[in-house]
Amino acid sequence: MSEIKIEKINAIWLQGQGCTGCTVSLTGATHPSLPDLLTGFLPQAAGVALVFHPTIMLPHGEEAINVLESGLKGKLDPFVLILEGAIPNEELAEKTGGYWCMVGENGEGKPLTLNYWVDKLSERAAAVVAVGTCACYGGIPHGKPNPTGSKGLLSYLGRNWRSKLNLPVICIPGCPAQGEHVAEVLAHLVLTARGFLPIPELDEFHRPKFIFKATAHENCPRAGFFAEGKYSEEFGEPYCMGLLGCKGPIVHCDVPKRGFVEGVGGCTTVGSICIGCTEPEFPDEPLSPFFKKAPPGVFVSETFGDIKGKLYALLHRLKSRKI
Amino acid sequence: MVEEKMKNEVLIEPLTRIEGHLAIHAVPDLETKKYKNAHSYAVMFRGFEIILKNREPADAIWITQRICGVCPVPHAVASVETVDMTYKAPPTPFSIAVRNFVHLSEQLYDSPLGCGILEGPDYSEPVVKRFNPEWWSSAQETKAEHSDLHGYSTIADIMTALTPLSGSLWLKCLQISKLGRKMASLFGAKHPHVGTFVPGGVGKTITATDLEMFAGMLSQHIAFSKEFVPAFDDLLNFLIGIGYEEAGARAANLISYGSYEDPHSYNAKYEDMSKWGEKRKVTPGVVVNRNLITTDLVEINVGIREFITHSYYNEWDGREVERDPLGNEIAAEHPWNKETIPRPEPSKQWNGKYSWGTAPRWHDWKKHIDGGIYTLEAGPIARMWTTAQARKVPESTGNSLKFTLPKVTVVTGKVAEEMTFEWKIPEKVNAIERIRARAYYHAYSAYVAYNMLIEALEMVKKGEIEMWNKYRRPREGIGVGMIEAMRGGVAHWCIMKNGRIHRYQIITPTAWNESPRGPNNEPGPYEEAIIGTPITEAISSSLNGIDAARVVRSFDPCLACTVHVYNGKKKTVNEISPYFNL
Repeated sequence: MSEIKIEKINAIWLQGQGCTGCTVSLTGATHPSLPDLLTGFLPQAAGVALVFHPTIMLPHGEEAINVLESGLKGKLDPFVLILEGAIPNEELAEKTGGYWCMVGENGEGKPLTLNYWVDKLSERAAAVVAVGTCACYGGIPHGKPNPTGSKGLLSYLGRNWRSKLNLPVICIPGCPAQGEHVAEVLAHLVLTARGFLPIPELDEFHRPKFIFKATAHENCPRAGFFAEGKYSEEFGEPYCMGLLGCKGPIVHCDVPKRGFVEGVGGCTTVGSICIGCTEPEFPDEPLSPFFKKAPPGVFVSETFGDIKGKLYALLHRLKSRKI
Repeated sequence: MVEEKMKNEVLIEPLTRIEGHLAIHAVPDLETKKYKNAHSYAVMFRGFEIILKNREPADAIWITQRICGVCPVPHAVASVETVDMTYKAPPTPFSIAVRNFVHLSEQLYDSPLGCGILEGPDYSEPVVKRFNPEWWSSAQETKAEHSDLHGYSTIADIMTALTPLSGSLWLKCLQISKLGRKMASLFGAKHPHVGTFVPGGVGKTITATDLEMFAGMLSQHIAFSKEFVPAFDDLLNFLIGIGYEEAGARAANLISYGSYEDPHSYNAKYEDMSKWGEKRKVTPGVVVNRNLITTDLVEINVGIREFITHSYYNEWDGREVERDPLGNEIAAEHPWNKETIPRPEPSKQWNGKYSWGTAPRWHDWKKHIDGGIYTLEAGPIARMWTTAQARKVPESTGNSLKFTLPKVTVVTGKVAEEMTFEWKIPEKVNAIERIRARAYYHAYSAYVAYNMLIEALEMVKKGEIEMWNKYRRPREGIGVGMIEAMRGGVAHWCIMKNGRIHRYQIITPTAWNESPRGPNNEPGPYEEAIIGTPITEAISSSLNGIDAARVVRSFDPCLACTVHVYNGKKKTVNEISPYFNL
């Protein structure tokens, strides 16, 4: 049995222009759960300390800020920087002498902004993880007309940015991010850092493909009705929600399949429409107005795929039995 | 001199274990050992009311939930009711019951979250031992009165059980709060931020499976309530016993919008809002100096004012809505007339603008008292109070709310037998009673959910299971939606022109509570509650501010805000305290 080298890995969880929904969502993660992650559910995944999290930590005020400062001084290395919420453009606020998002004060009693901490801490971070669509791409705060000039980490730090471990910004979108998505990706990164797993493969928007490769439509339990041309025309009906505004075909998400809390829920699963909350454009076009049907091009390509599927099914039926 | 200044103020930024970004500035009086001044300020802005402009009103049902990931469903209810009214799209009775199920589920999650995870740790073993060691020795010697119900033999055992990550009550609260969110996801698709609420009803395909699953999960909450409420009762009674009742005390000036619609009364018509408002299972009302002065939701709406005297916004011009659909005059400071014009300014200008939060106030426009402008507090204590005093529901006695949870047998439950709860209007509105009301609201919500389930089953038997009323969207419209989140009343206002949002305004419960000074320089509820709060921590070279933080946390802040307490001096205490390892 190979020896497991236990290293302490610190996690600093900052909150910007967010709603704490991703944190709440993380408390719903089941396998692994939040306590699993923090108490070390496997020797390989042990040693993770959440040293800063505004919603659940015991200390407040100066003592809380001291943790971030010790991070700046390298005393928390190696650490993962996790951001929940978007990052505003503080230059806009400075024009009138103010701020959009403050996290603590400096020694002179001047506000320190979220941007200050993101800038400083990202320089030392072993990895940077954006949790939720706001932190990834700007989300709701960057919705038109984007009054505070919000951005997500992907454009704030840039697509070519690399962490101390040579990792790009890793995005776990969703509004909020599904709890297990967060727990799985964080656990995956711990295992990656210790050499037990390869680096997770990411898509063009830096989402781990093991979760975000397929579309909500491909993962939808109602896709069978779509294939048969059965559509819900009224809310409450059990068929495909495409006519009522579902954006599933253009959205990358597995929530329809896996549900939201312990397998329960899932947007299109229960009869809601998909509003595209895992996509960079959320909450603007082409995802809103939410009741507007998805762009027609999508349904054309879906239909071609469907015809192709029918033909293949027929051809495969003609083949001889395999086992 | 430096020493002097250091003790002169306490700044809590960030305030942790709350939702959002809030800061508290408190000035201690070291002779009387009380806080003598306080300022509460929100330190983050996103601009929802601006982002919502020109969108379809129905989009607001999804977007406004994102204001708060801790209490999204009340935003969904307020918003969907606003849009129901704006679109003239009344929902079906069964869909009203389903909206209630989602709303009730969130309250069942949010009460243990607030009491157990956010506020409870303030009274947990590590915090009490550090700041109030004398409480700890007394707690070890105090037997818990209801140990037969919850299993903890002393108060110290309850304090140990509230320790984050390891305490049994903390872990139970986390687990049961997750179950509440699972129940909300069952009918709402996901939680936070439910997906099924639509104008005219709910987009949920309902089957018998759903109702059975809901019943199964609800029974766990009913069993939990029978342990959880007595455990908090014992802890809170102990705190009263050691003299902590002055912490967070303020006058009983309260507001509630009421909650949980009656499926056969709500019709989304403003003209009938006074009637269906009073049919809610939680009664709307305004309390001034302990007296309930109204339960009329229309009167409550018309009396709402929003001031920005000390907030980072510019004044707005004009008064577009002069009268409501009933002909009542609508003031320029009413949200139907408000424009959100942000203007960031420096922090801590105590005589000028110092918060991103606004100052909601209530005008006694029918002159029940003196026609004045009142600073009101929202929260479970407010709505339990209005419901207990109003006698609009059978459980209301005029000075208490009395109800019985049914017998349930679940594997993990300690108490199977039915249990009667009585929440009595307290002597004082303070930190302790705010937490107690929050715990009792879990039991009351479980009770309402159980009865709502029985009512839904009756509807199923009668075949009344339509989920949605089709509507034709008008081009113009006006609406309001007022309901209760765990931390108090939340309301939305909408004016639609050309099928798009012309104006959308939101006042959250925390906006009422964390409000900065108002138009006459009068403090907001957090500020009032901190002023006069005794300082129980040992006063050495610096103050931690734990008592002020406890007071603010008792309101269960939800600002998408943070409070940091700091002592005006740059001093590194410990590099890493033992409590950071969370």
